[in-house]
Amino acid sequence: MEIKGSVAVITGGGNGIGEAVAKYFVRNGAKVAIVDMAQKNIDRVVKEIKEMGGEVIGVQANVTSEAETARFYQATIAAFGKVNIVVSCAGIIRDGTMLSLDKETGKVARKMGLDKWQPVIDTNLTGTFLTVRDGAEAMVNGGWPGLLVCISSVNKVGQVGQLNYSSAKVADALLPKIVVGEFLLRGIRNIRCVGIAPGYTATPMLTGMNQEALKAILADVHLGRLVEPDEIARLIGQCVENEAINATTLEITGGLCYPGGIAK
Amino acid sequence: MKTFTYNDMHFSVEKAQGRWDISCRTADGKSAYVAAGLFADLPESEIEARARALVCSMFPVGIKIVGPDVAHANLIGDLKIVGPDVTHPNFIYWDKDSSSSPKQL
Repeated sequence: MEIKGSVAVITGGGNGIGEAVAKYFVRNGAKVAIVDMAQKNIDRVVKEIKEMGGEVIGVQANVTSEAETARFYQATIAAFGKVNIVVSCAGIIRDGTMLSLDKETGKVARKMGLDKWQPVIDTNLTGTFLTVRDGAEAMVNGGWPGLLVCISSVNKVGQVGQLNYSSAKVADALLPKIVVGEFLLRGIRNIRCVGIAPGYTATPMLTGMNQEALKAILADVHLGRLVEPDEIARLIGQCVENEAINATTLEITGGLCYPGGIAK
Repeated sequence: MKTFTYNDMHFSVEKAQGRWDISCRTADGKSAYVAAGLFADLPESEIEARARALVCSMFPVGIKIVGPDVAHANLIGDLKIVGPDVTHPNFIYWDKDSSSSPKQL
């Protein structure tokens, strides 16, 4: 499938990886729908894409809502007439351990509440499910060939302090295999699904963190630096153009290893 | 430039370099982008109708039904017990630690 002439829906397109993916697609001739919670981010990205000469719509929406998911697909089809590429980048973190102990008594002082668990599962897993489900529905009903992209994470292997995030991201990594299996079962041959599992990426969340902590993270990355969002966008572009990439989740980490050089 | 009002929101459709940008006036008086660079191939007479159709799809007007989770009732004999719909966006989660297992000091 060619990027040129395609229509892409990118959730979480207002910053970070989603923004890079949207601009990559526009540079390569696609029309894009930016979906984000923050209108301020939508305005900035839409303005910049406009200056690039691209065609773009911006939809403020919450990916955890069925009604709002339906709305951003309807808007995309109203503007561009079809949907070919869906990239589910919307994601959040609410880090914390499941239990925290009182230092003096050794008893449980705090446990992870649903206020930290549920929003992460809702956005990172249910949001991806709804985005992929309704994107596939639009493609099937419209007769348009397409690619569905789930954004997982290298932390799908399990990250301490991210029980909520890792649980969602391991599910996101599994999703393409099941979705494509079901497409095969139902005779849907022209829609593919892949997952992308980025490592530590140069998004505002990481570049703004404590520089000593960042240095410690980079010590375990063979590449010696953070992965750039544009490098992830280029991998997604490869997935669009190479139809043999399907039903799998690809890692792009720069060579992330466990401490001591053991492969992660 | 063309302007129209829909559902108490004010939209403007403006031509720039042969394409059309759509923006919306927000409640605080600021301008927010709806779309940019659209409808390059369309005759000018069709632009407003297409812009309206796009805006209507983005900002649908309707009623959201709020209610208990009747799909997952607990049955006690022939009595149906329906709890709150925890998947509903208006459902508020308890934002403190559970009281079912209070910390032991």
